Amino acid sequence: MSTTVLSVPKPLRQFFALFPLYTHAPVPSPYTAGAITNATLWVYSPKNENSELEDLLSSDVECLKWQAYLALRGLSDIYVRWDVKQDGAIDGRLPNLHVPSKDGEPGGELLAVHSIPDWVDGTLGDGPGDLEGYVNEVARDESRAWVSLMEGNVHAALTLSQPAPSLLHNLLMPFPAKHRPLETMLNPPPAPLTGISSLLPAYGAHVDRNAVALQYREAIASLSERLGTDKWFLGSAEPTALDALVFAYLHCILHSRDNLIRQEVSRRVNLVAWEHRVQAQVRAAFRRCPAVPSTSRRQAL
Amino acid sequence: MDDPELTAPPLKPPLADTSAPRDGEPAADDVDRILRWQEERIARKLRGEYESAVLHLSDVVNSNLATPLRIASVRVQGAAHTRASFIGSLITPLLPLPQDPTTLADVLHTTRHVGAVLQQTDIFQAVDARLERARDMLDAVDVVFRTRERGRLFLSTSTQVGNNEGGASATCRVRNAFGGAETFEANLAFATTTRVAFGASLSAPLTHTLATRGELAVFAQERDNSSFASSAEGVRGLRAVVRTGSADSSRGKHEFAYEAVLRHIGNLAPTASITYVWLFFAYLSQSLVARSDARYLDTDASRDARMREAAGQSVKSAVSHTWTRDTRDDRLLGTRGAYVRLAHELAGLGGDAAFVKSEAQAQGARRLLPGLIMSLAGRTGLLWGLGRPTLFSDRFQLGGPLSVRMFRANGMGPRDGPDSLGGELYWAAGLSLISDIPRKPHWPVKIHGFVNAGRLDGIDQSKTLVQNVLATITKPSVSAGVGLVYKLDPVRIELNFGAPLVASASDGVRKGIQVGIGLDFL
Repeated sequence: MSTTVLSVPKPLRQFFALFPLYTHAPVPSPYTAGAITNATLWVYSPKNENSELEDLLSSDVECLKWQAYLALRGLSDIYVRWDVKQDGAIDGRLPNLHVPSKDGEPGGELLAVHSIPDWVDGTLGDGPGDLEGYVNEVARDESRAWVSLMEGNVHAALTLSQPAPSLLHNLLMPFPAKHRPLETMLNPPPAPLTGISSLLPAYGAHVDRNAVALQYREAIASLSERLGTDKWFLGSAEPTALDALVFAYLHCILHSRDNLIRQEVSRRVNLVAWEHRVQAQVRAAFRRCPAVPSTSRRQAL
Repeated sequence: MDDPELTAPPLKPPLADTSAPRDGEPAADDVDRILRWQEERIARKLRGEYESAVLHLSDVVNSNLATPLRIASVRVQGAAHTRASFIGSLITPLLPLPQDPTTLADVLHTTRHVGAVLQQTDIFQAVDARLERARDMLDAVDVVFRTRERGRLFLSTSTQVGNNEGGASATCRVRNAFGGAETFEANLAFATTTRVAFGASLSAPLTHTLATRGELAVFAQERDNSSFASSAEGVRGLRAVVRTGSADSSRGKHEFAYEAVLRHIGNLAPTASITYVWLFFAYLSQSLVARSDARYLDTDASRDARMREAAGQSVKSAVSHTWTRDTRDDRLLGTRGAYVRLAHELAGLGGDAAFVKSEAQAQGARRLLPGLIMSLAGRTGLLWGLGRPTLFSDRFQLGGPLSVRMFRANGMGPRDGPDSLGGELYWAAGLSLISDIPRKPHWPVKIHGFVNAGRLDGIDQSKTLVQNVLATITKPSVSAGVGLVYKLDPVRIELNFGAPLVASASDGVRKGIQVGIGLDFL
């Protein structure tokens, strides 16, 4: 009823339909990029952007997980670009996968991380199945525990090893970067900085760095022991999502500037050798996006 | 025949009034009228005495203008919070040299100039000048200024409507902050489009004439551009400005500025999901059960891919010059005079942006007939990248009720899906006829009819500038309509009904009613 009342009367609609009386061609846009022809993963920049010593593997563990996932699922010739900042990503979080659109839209389709597995399944024509590539249900269930360990304790240790952005930086940034809170990585969650009887609202987290380091050492030791001399984790015949996840963490840890963190992995030969082997496989799946020059293309837009 | 005004009334003891002429004295039985009459008579008498004294003084002064007289000293009283050195720097250049022979006329002129410059400082509420005999010199006087300083601290809160947005602001101003006519001002505002804006500035006079002022400012703001660019823009910057002259003077106002700004384009698309899943593995699990939802969420995001590439931070370091001259009798609904503004900016002194930007704006009004005004306005701008492409934040936007009417706000020029990417070359022109409402010329509401034209383009640097300009001029978008204009100081409100006559296929058009609120219309 309200729609009828608010709608434009038909004679007026017909009158407006006459306008504009003449229409020019669309204003050409020199900024619009050409049609996308190949799947392109948007990631944080690699450690070395130098074109001669170029490393196509992202320095960010979250992005690297998805790079490894795409490579270990058997995809290849995927472009990778890092000129798009995280503000441009869906939900403000990289990575995103830019793929040619099925309906022929030249701009393609941008996928958030949660849509990447769908796209991979669609591209390969089959999914991982109920067992998700693991040898049996027990291994599948065990994989959950390893994921929890890596994304919990190991991720917390890796985060603590990296310098936190300064207060001035946070004040100057109009839209501060979203980071995964440390409280979500640790189990049990750390106590707030304010005391239990404080009148102030609870804020911050009182993180026991020694405890985190201890848990990290135990996690890496367990990981090394569980891998043993297997080709893939949990004895899988083919790489699984867990392998992608573990590779991302091992790679970032081995390139960490924190000696304590790095040495914990580097002294375990099986982990280093495994990471080295998988790294070659992952790296081979990616190519640099040809449309992106070495300097930031963001400046053009 | 006897005139009662000239004839004394008959004697009636004991308090008979025998004055004559009667001077329109009312009857004795109306006390109120008598009181009013007496007050008026006293005021008239005082005014007469004052005028007589002024006339007498003028005679004395005029007949002694050539009398030799010196200024022994200049004293400013009541300037408790103002530095003596600052007052000295204002007054000393205005004083005649000690060896120069001076007359009373010179002394009076000097006194007037010093009084004027003290008023210009905006420090004093009142400045009264007095000449006193000098103590030690016979042919000299002391010039004494008795002043009263204005309040130093000013706090205000206000609600504002303008530039098609409304908001509230709080301002704190400290006048004469360090005793040298410095002004410190801090402002915090919240509005619908400019969600939050903060600015703090310290300005001070740079020359003894007070015609040139310098200003240091820091500013921050967050602007919601989601209506035309699917994003928000945060800005943090600092600016140093030197201003000289006045916009309403014949030479106009010049402004030289240096600006260093961090621009951050972010908050691109509102997240559609209720909860955000952090973990890599959770994404994998989620994808097995929520494929259709994921497709739905991605649809919007994929359309504004170009804006996603534009997102992030950029730094601009630029110098600029702006010249403004405004001789209109009214900023909102002028009937005569002209407004001209020229602005040039050179960026590339560090930072990500490197360009030359020039803009020109002019508006003139002329009364054609009693109650009928013609207003003609034009704007143009050119942005030329210096060795690197231009950035979204620096490009021009065009269209909307304050520029080319009957087009969407910032809806013209190069587009990518729903987003206006901005352009590097634009022009816009508008002709308006503004008329009084018949038999209601005193109303602040007027009727107007308008024709607007304009176009915004990106520059193809493979072509010459002339070719680019010709391509832009030959394909204008044109609109026309009628409407009501309401002058609601300090803004102008327009309610227009019209339609685009000629448009580009990519333009966002507005047919029917369009409302505009702002200061600066085409």
